[in-house]
Amino acid sequence: MGSRRQEPSLVVIQLSGGNDYLNTIVPYNDGEYYDYRPTVNIESERVLPIDDEYGFNPNMRAIKELYDDGKVAVINGIGYPEPNRSHFRSMDIWHTALPEDIGVEGWLGRATRELDPGGENVLTAVNFGRGLPRALGVRGVPVASVGNLESYGLFPDLQDEKLRRYALEAFAKMYGGERGRDAVMDFLGQTGTDALKGADLLRTAVDKYESGVEYAASPIGQSLRDAAKVMFADLGTRIFYTQQGSYDTHSGELATHGSLIGEMSAGVSDFYADLKEHGREDDTALLIFSEFGRRIKDNGSGTDHGSGGVAFVIGGSVRGGMYGEYPSLKEERQLEGDLHYNNDFRSTYSTILERWLHVEASPIVNGHFEQFDFISNGSGNGSGNGSGAAN
Amino acid sequence: MSKSNVELMAHLMRRAGFGATRTELDQLADRNYEEVVEDLLHPGEADSLPDDLIRRYHVDQHELRQADSAAAYWVYRMATTACPLEEKLALFWHGLFATGYTKLNQARTLLNQIDMFRHRGLGSFRELLIELSKDPAMIVWLDNENNHKTAINENYGRELLELFSMGIGSYTEDDVKECARAFTGWTLKNAEYMSQRAMKDSIWPYGRISWHFEYRGHDHDDGEKTFLGETGRFDGEDVIAIIVRHESTARFVCTRLFQYFAADEVDSDAEPVIREMMDSYMESDYEIRSVLRTLFNSDYFRSDAVRLARVKGPVELVIGALRQAGMCSEPVLDINDIANQASYMGQGLLNPPTVEGWHEGIEWINSGALVDRVNFVAAWLGDTANPGVRAMIDRMAEMDGGVLSPEELVDGCLDTLGPLRVSDETRASLVEVASREGEVKLRGNDGADDERVAEILRLAASTPAYQLA
Amino acid sequence: MVVASAPVEYLKTIGIVNNGFNGRGFANPYDTAHDRAGRIYVLNRCDVARRTAIRVGICNLDEDYLGEFGYGAGGGDGQMVLPVAMAFDSRDRLYVTDEYNHRVSVFDSDGKFLEKWGVRGSGPDRINGPAGIAIDDADNVYVADQHNHRIQKFTADGEWIGGWGAPGSGEGEFNMPWGVAMDGAGSIYVADWRNDRVQKFSPDGSFLASFGSGGGPEGLIRPSSVAVDDRGSVYVADWGNERVQIFTPDGSFSKTLRGQATLSKWAKDFLAANPDEQATRDISDLRPKLPPHLNTPDHLSSQIEPYFWGPVSVRFDHSQRLFVTETNRHRLQIYSTT
Repeated sequence: MGSRRQEPSLVVIQLSGGNDYLNTIVPYNDGEYYDYRPTVNIESERVLPIDDEYGFNPNMRAIKELYDDGKVAVINGIGYPEPNRSHFRSMDIWHTALPEDIGVEGWLGRATRELDPGGENVLTAVNFGRGLPRALGVRGVPVASVGNLESYGLFPDLQDEKLRRYALEAFAKMYGGERGRDAVMDFLGQTGTDALKGADLLRTAVDKYESGVEYAASPIGQSLRDAAKVMFADLGTRIFYTQQGSYDTHSGELATHGSLIGEMSAGVSDFYADLKEHGREDDTALLIFSEFGRRIKDNGSGTDHGSGGVAFVIGGSVRGGMYGEYPSLKEERQLEGDLHYNNDFRSTYSTILERWLHVEASPIVNGHFEQFDFISNGSGNGSGNGSGAAN
Repeated sequence: MSKSNVELMAHLMRRAGFGATRTELDQLADRNYEEVVEDLLHPGEADSLPDDLIRRYHVDQHELRQADSAAAYWVYRMATTACPLEEKLALFWHGLFATGYTKLNQARTLLNQIDMFRHRGLGSFRELLIELSKDPAMIVWLDNENNHKTAINENYGRELLELFSMGIGSYTEDDVKECARAFTGWTLKNAEYMSQRAMKDSIWPYGRISWHFEYRGHDHDDGEKTFLGETGRFDGEDVIAIIVRHESTARFVCTRLFQYFAADEVDSDAEPVIREMMDSYMESDYEIRSVLRTLFNSDYFRSDAVRLARVKGPVELVIGALRQAGMCSEPVLDINDIANQASYMGQGLLNPPTVEGWHEGIEWINSGALVDRVNFVAAWLGDTANPGVRAMIDRMAEMDGGVLSPEELVDGCLDTLGPLRVSDETRASLVEVASREGEVKLRGNDGADDERVAEILRLAASTPAYQLA
Repeated sequence: MVVASAPVEYLKTIGIVNNGFNGRGFANPYDTAHDRAGRIYVLNRCDVARRTAIRVGICNLDEDYLGEFGYGAGGGDGQMVLPVAMAFDSRDRLYVTDEYNHRVSVFDSDGKFLEKWGVRGSGPDRINGPAGIAIDDADNVYVADQHNHRIQKFTADGEWIGGWGAPGSGEGEFNMPWGVAMDGAGSIYVADWRNDRVQKFSPDGSFLASFGSGGGPEGLIRPSSVAVDDRGSVYVADWGNERVQIFTPDGSFSKTLRGQATLSKWAKDFLAANPDEQATRDISDLRPKLPPHLNTPDHLSSQIEPYFWGPVSVRFDHSQRLFVTETNRHRLQIYSTT
């Protein structure tokens, strides 16, 4: 497949509900892991070893292969000070990059504003799912939220194509015609017209998409396929957002977590294959995160809300490997029964913002944070990724 | 009845409630305006969908553990109540005293707060603030359980002054501290366990335990305080009594009510109305009912200029469409999804983004939200299976022998959904669609043309005018 | 003759809330059924937004979680949307009603789907919103036909045999009936939900008696379920009052249970893994006195953890133990009655 350099894009996968770090990257050589996890553990022989100490969950074979290719950065021990163990609050903190206070603006909404300061493209950031995650919410920054790409737009319930066309034509006239009455009417008219335009563009993404990759039928696989459709239609989208869950495995964890993490891994692998087929793997980075990790000690069936987690950054321009420090399970090193974080998630955000998207990080993440070097600037075709130069 | 009276009643019901069906408007238009206002101001039996039917069908609305279940429960109430102002005003207080699920993880306690707004919302503002200060959801939302005799937490004391009563600039930092001291010891039962469960979003072992107020005398600072120039051993109730007497409080409350019910912008014509509302506030011992009576009966509120000029909030839009479509007279399977629609449009019930509530007016509108708004009302009001839509068609069948020209069909649909006033271009584009298949016959035709009416109702609901109240 | 009131003693609590899709714990449990081997089948109704988790969990009195089966939400084989009640027949086949799909699904005791029957409608052999279910020794199946306000009787394979009842509040009439039970003599008891009473019928459907109506402190409000012990005492889940009312065989009021839940084994496991919550729990008063405006049964139950909350089912196992299923607290409170 021929390709030209594209501006770098970011695909975020939110693992909702609190992904169990200990059973994702398993410290299979640590006896304390098995002591604290008499029921909810992964047997050492099933782990996919990274080294003598740690290994991937056996359901993550596909991501393990990408890791072996050097495309996966594992950010160990990620978190923030004074961890909050409520789903909503902790997710809010990740979304607003503001642990101390209730934030209003989402970090990716702010990034979108930097990438498209005039707000000219309503598709600069696209969420795949219903409702707008707070990460993308900034007043005045247009973001599209796509529940179902196939039927996105106005009047999706109208089955009759002819009736739907009439309705859309009438809508265009009604909103195109309301000008000059007053500011509110003018604004409604303009917004309605923009909405029609955005929906038409997204529709072309569905029509244009061709791929030899058969995605797994899981919800995350389908969301990532929708993201691929939009990406390959070259609509100027730079930020893609989706989520998968629920990782809130208080009971029956081994079955639920195994299947979720397996579907995520397979979906990411399919998506990566699709990127390669379209020559986009070097222009795309994935960030996979969760709002918190889970308690070290199991509860006999699952695990409860904890802190200290793991994130992944994946892509052709990513320098793979283990980053951060795997937190100790020793009692004196624990934080209230949880893994102790050792790197602030805003370090990872800052790295992605500055080294990948090339926007200034500190106003977005509310401060200066040490950065990782998991972005390999000289990789791929070596043109200095995301120097901003498309073509 | 006169057409102008119908339009006036439509305006009143859109603002003081969630709109009315055309049939309801016919009945209201025969009545005296001030009498209708008095009825609204004196809510009786809500006669909404009964709790027992809701709970037998929706097990989650009995438990009320989840935010979406609680929002759905409130949607049923708003969509079926016979006392719309009671709910509309509860929604106002919810936006003003914005308390959100994400920090509390306590849906039932939030609904208890909404119920308090129902009971207190039209009464004395002083009593409302006292109840608010004792409300356990508010206490945790603004950290008053951490406001101790030995170590004050100013959060509630500050927001009470800044966001809930006087507005910034009417008090000093010292007043904030003294106010906080007055509320020390105002906490909730089992505060340590309950706030920990909230912090961890814990539903274990046996689901949520709901909250209630507790006064801990040993943790209350009953020393002398100087607040807004007055000195005494004030507690929270004393502080509130001082707050509500201040003119800045009268202005703050009356302005917010004005903006919610009358117009987003306070222009020079508005100023005398707000002054009258402030007079009513002071003369009535701070009674909200009196303030609203003054507003609704003012010439300003009744004037043509303020009608269909305010962007409907998402909840207003959703509930208005449900009421016109005649929905929710019995439980429906996907009510949580219906409640979620308002959230997708930017207003999640029981989940305002911050203590400042929602940014209203034109800020409700962006392209994504507008798509969701139009799709929602178009789908509900364009479906002949809905009883309210059925009633609209039957009503139009009574016009002109049931045979309607394209123009009559369009005017009939605009009338039944509002009456809505639209631009010439909008009307022309509706007529164009209606003309494609000529006149509609609504009698002796076995319903063959019903779908054509629904098509125009769908489009009439999709007009910019329908987005406005 | 004076009948001594039943010697009812609290035994234990089983359960923990489970907001997931599998594993131990319950998600809005709605009914129990008990096989002869002492296995407890628990119907997890779930709620509509989380209906894909609908399943039957299996455990025993020692609180071993033995597994679960479910087929997802919908109209396909084994699937359900609003499941209500369960009963075993003489061959250990488990029948489950679904008031949304208007049918009864039948499973073997390992959870394998066997068949489904029932057609929505108001005709003589139809059902609308099937709720409670009871099966007699001859495997006749009695179903509370909620929205047709009657009791329907079917063979084990769903062939309609007969029925009785009509909308109303007179003898033999119903208003949205819910639970159904049988005593040793084959008499049938119906929780006549919106008439605030329990009615008793002969096996052929003749009206025999009515319990609990007429208000007052002992009166029933919206009873959901009824069970009869070996001596003929009648236990009613008094759903609207969040309690269980016990009546003597002749229908006189005998006793109220308000609930006295303790920590289940699974609850103790949870608190052991979360000592921070155990610590603050230890300094709490979980039986607080509430202010007057929160003094309704529903508010009391929402704040007093040991109380029944949402008692939707009363059932006996084969050892005459009473199981009270509380849907809002996701647990079973168990009482001995012998």
